[in-house]
Amino acid sequence: METAHKEASGVTKTEEAPNYLNHESGIWSWLTTLDHKRIGIMYAWAVAFFFLVGGLLALAVRMELFGPGETIMGPDAYNQTFTLHGIIMIFLFLVPATPAVLGNFVLPIQLGAKDVAFPRLNLASWYIYMIGAFTAIAAILLGDIDTGWTFYAPYSLQQGSAVIIMTASVFVIGFSSILTGMNMIVTIHKMRAPGLTWNRLPLFVWSIYATSIVQILATPVIGITMLLLIFEQVLQIGIFDPALGGDPILFQHFFWFYSHPAVYIMILPGFGIISELIATFSRHRVFGYRAIALSSVAIAMLGFLVWGHHMFVSGQSAVSSIIFSLITFLIGIPSGIKIFNWIATMYKGSIWLQTPMLYALSFLFLFTIGGLTGIVVGVLALDIHLHDTYFVVGHFHYVMMGGMVMALLGGVHYWWPKMTGRMYNETAGKIAVALIFVGFNLTFFSQLIMGTKGMPRRYYDYLEQFTALHQVSTIGSWILAAGLFLVMGYGLYSLVRGKKAPANPWGAATLEWTNVAAIPDPHNFKRTPLVTRGPYDFHLADEVFGGGDGAGDGAAVRAPDAAPPAPEPKTAQ
Amino acid sequence: MAHSDGHADHHIIPFKTLANVFGALVVLTVLTVAVAQVDLGPLEIPVALGIAIAKSALVVMFFMALKYDKPVNSMVFTVGTVFVVVFLVFTLFDTAFRGDIGNVGVQTIEEEEAELERLREREPDPEQLRVTPSDYGQDGTGTGSEDMNDQ
Amino acid sequence: MATDTAVATPEADESHAHHPPHLQHHFVSSEQQFDSAKLGMWLFLITEILLFSGMFVAYTVYRAWHPEAFTEASATLDWVLGGVNTLVLLGSSFTVALSIHFAQKDDRMKAFWNLIATLALAGVFMVIKYFEWTAKFEHGVFPAGFFDPHGGYYETLASIPYTGQFFSIYFVMTGIHGLHVLIGMGVIGWIAWRTFRGHFSSEYYTPIEITGLYWHLVDIIWIFLFPLLYLV
Repeated sequence: METAHKEASGVTKTEEAPNYLNHESGIWSWLTTLDHKRIGIMYAWAVAFFFLVGGLLALAVRMELFGPGETIMGPDAYNQTFTLHGIIMIFLFLVPATPAVLGNFVLPIQLGAKDVAFPRLNLASWYIYMIGAFTAIAAILLGDIDTGWTFYAPYSLQQGSAVIIMTASVFVIGFSSILTGMNMIVTIHKMRAPGLTWNRLPLFVWSIYATSIVQILATPVIGITMLLLIFEQVLQIGIFDPALGGDPILFQHFFWFYSHPAVYIMILPGFGIISELIATFSRHRVFGYRAIALSSVAIAMLGFLVWGHHMFVSGQSAVSSIIFSLITFLIGIPSGIKIFNWIATMYKGSIWLQTPMLYALSFLFLFTIGGLTGIVVGVLALDIHLHDTYFVVGHFHYVMMGGMVMALLGGVHYWWPKMTGRMYNETAGKIAVALIFVGFNLTFFSQLIMGTKGMPRRYYDYLEQFTALHQVSTIGSWILAAGLFLVMGYGLYSLVRGKKAPANPWGAATLEWTNVAAIPDPHNFKRTPLVTRGPYDFHLADEVFGGGDGAGDGAAVRAPDAAPPAPEPKTAQ
Repeated sequence: MAHSDGHADHHIIPFKTLANVFGALVVLTVLTVAVAQVDLGPLEIPVALGIAIAKSALVVMFFMALKYDKPVNSMVFTVGTVFVVVFLVFTLFDTAFRGDIGNVGVQTIEEEEAELERLREREPDPEQLRVTPSDYGQDGTGTGSEDMNDQ
Repeated sequence: MATDTAVATPEADESHAHHPPHLQHHFVSSEQQFDSAKLGMWLFLITEILLFSGMFVAYTVYRAWHPEAFTEASATLDWVLGGVNTLVLLGSSFTVALSIHFAQKDDRMKAFWNLIATLALAGVFMVIKYFEWTAKFEHGVFPAGFFDPHGGYYETLASIPYTGQFFSIYFVMTGIHGLHVLIGMGVIGWIAWRTFRGHFSSEYYTPIEITGLYWHLVDIIWIFLFPLLYLV
C-alpha cells in the first residue's frame, strides 16, 4: 500500500499546477492528512486489498466445490474459508466501500464544500478501520473461525478466543462506520454551497444521506451485540446461551437488527451511483428526481422493520413472521420506483455506452433479479423450502455483487479520471464488463437453480446430482475473476501510463466535474461555487460543459476546451 | 425556537429556569421512590416509566436545551428514540408470542406427547382423507394418517 | 452545477483574512462550525441511545418471561443507595448546565467551579457504585454463569430460576453506564482545565456545550436504569 501511495503521487509530479496529490509528498503527509480526498484514496487502497483477499477466498470456496468430496481442502478448512470470505467481504469491504471511498472523495465536492464537517474524525475513522482490520487478521491467524459471518449463538460461544477477537474487530470497525455516517450527515446538513437546496442535491448525495442514517441507527446495535457475545463467553451472562437459560433467538434478533439494515448500507450508495451514471450517460435529466431521492430514505427506514425475515425458520413466533414478511413485500415498492425511474430516465436520452454506463445497465439487470428473488424468499411458506439453500446465496450475491459491486465498479470507473487524473483504457474496460457480466451470471444463476433443487448452503460436500451445476458455477467464478483481474491490471497501468484526463471527460453536470480542476485542488474549489440550477440540467450541456456525443473515448472529445483549470474558461463565457 | 438563529448570541437559559428544572427533577425522583413503596399492581411499571420519561423530557428540553435549539437536532433525537421503540416492539412481537403455533417447544415433552395424543383422537377416518389416486391403492387405508400427525 | 462562478461568494477569500482563532478553515462562519458540532454530537448521542437500547430490550424480554425472578432479585438492590445516586447524577447534570450558562455569560471561574462540582459528584456516584457492586460480589452474586448467592436474604435467590439473568443484565447495564461515567469524568476534567486556562468564552464554548450534552445523556440513561433495576 505504501509504495502504491507514492506511485499515485509520483504520477502527477510532472504537472505544474498544485493539486491534492502533489501539493505535499511523502508517506507521512498521507498518514496525517485531513483532506477528505486523500482519506478517500487511503480507504480505497485498504478496501481494494480486502476485496482482493475476500475474492481469492471465494475462488478457493468455488474450487473446493468443483466436485463432490475433497478437492483442494478438508471440511474444516472449507468452513473457515467461507467464514472468512463472508466476514471480510461484509465488514471490511462492502460496508465501508462506497460511503468511505467514493462518499469521502466525491460528496464534499458535490456539495461545494472544502471538506467534510469533521476532518479529524474522518482520519480517525480510517485508523479505527485499520485497527479493526488488523484485529481481524490477528483473529484469522489465531485460527479456527468457522461460525459463518453471522456468529450465531450458541455455536460461536463454543469456539474459543479467536471468535472473541473477531467479534471485537467487528465492534471496532463499527465505530469507523458510525464516524463516517456522522460526518456525512452533518456535512450534507451544514456544508452545502450557497444556492444548493435539498432539491438540487445530486442523487448520490441523497443516497449517502440515507446510508448514513442507517449507519447511525443500526451500527450501535451490532456494537452492543458483539459486546454481549464477548461478555457471554468471558462472563457467562446467560443472555444468549441456552445452557445458562439464555435465548439464542434473541441473539438473532440483535444481530439482524443491524445486519439487515446493513445490506442497505451496502446497496443504497450503489443506487446513488447508478442515478449519476444513468443521468450523465443518457444526457437526460433524471426522471422522478424526488421519487428517487425520497425512496432512498424510505428504503432506509423500512429496512429497519424487516429483519425477522432472516428468521422464519428459527422458531420465532408466527405473529412476528407474518408481520416481517408483510413489510418485506413493502420494500419492493421503493425499489421498484427506482428501477422504473432509471429506465424512464434513459428513454429518449442520448445514451453513450462507455464502461461506467455498461456497469449501470448490468446493474439494472442483475439487481432486478436480486430484488425479485428477494421477494421470493420473503414469502413465508416458500422460505421454509428455500431457507439456507443456494437460492439464498444466489439472491444475496445478485444483490450484493450484481447490485452493489457493479455499481461500485461503475462509480470507480466514472470518478477514476477525477481521482487519479488519468484515463483508463476504454476497450479493456468494455471487455472486463463483458467478462464480469457473463462470469457473474454463470456463477450465481446456477446457484439459484441449485437452491430450488434443495442444495443447502455452507455444505462442504454434496450429492452427485448437483455436480454439473456446481461446475458451471465454479467455471463462471473463473471468468468473473478474469474480468476483475483485468480491471485491476488496466487500473494499475492507468495509474502509471494512463492518458491525462480532462476536467470533465463525460460531459457531466455535477459540481465535481464542472467546477473543479482535472485533479482537484487541495481545497477543491478556487472559489466557493454558487449553485443556480438542478443537478441534471443538461439543457445547455454542449455549450456549457460539452461532450457526451458518443464519439468514443471521452478524453479525445473533451481535451481541447477543458485542459486548463476548469472554472476559468467558463467564467469567460 | 427562532432565538438561536442570530449570530453568535445563543440563547442563554436563565439560572432560575435551570434551578426550577432541577427542583422538579428532585421532586419526581422522590415521587418515584415513594410510589414504589406502594403496591400498585399492574400499574407499577407504567407509573415508574411515566415518571422516568417525564424526568428525561425535562433534561432533554431544558438541560440539553432542545426546546431552544434548531429543529434538526430535535428531529435527530426523535428519530433515534423512535427506532429504539421499533427495536423493542418488533422483538416483542416474537418473544411475547413465542410458540404461538406450537412450532417450538415451550411445552415440556410430556405435554407435547399428550397434545399429540389428543390430536390423534380427533383425527378423521382415513377414508375421508383420500385425495390422490394412490390413496385408493391396494391397502385401502391410504397414507393420510401418517402425514396428519406432523401437523 | 453552478455555472456562474463569476458571481461566487467572496467568503472563500476573505475568511482567511479575519477569522477568530477557533474557526477551522473549512467552515465559513463560527455559527456554521457551532451548529455542525452540535448536530454531530446529537447524532453521536442517538448512537449511544441505540447502544443502550440493546440492553433495555434484553431487560424487557427477560422481565416479561420471568417477572417473579426479576421482582425477587430486584428487591436485593438497595433503593436508598440507588436513589441517592440518582440525586447525585441529577445534581451533576444541573451543575454542568450551569457551567454552560456561566460560560455563555463569560464568567470563567464560575463555569470552572461548576465543572469541578460535576466531576466531584460523578466521583461520588462511582464510589457508591463501587460499594454496591462489592456488596454483591461478597454474597456470590455474579452474572448467570457464576451465580452462586449465599448469606442472608440472598439464599432465597438460589432457589428461584433466572435470578442470575437479572444480575447479568444489572452488571452489564450499570457496568457500561459506569464506563460512560468514567469517560465523562475524563472529558470533563480536561474541559475544566481548558476552562481554567481561559480557552473558552461566550464567543466559543462549543466543547463545554457538547460535553454537557454527553453528560446529560449519561444522566438520562440512569434515570431509566434506576426505576427499572431498583424499584419495579
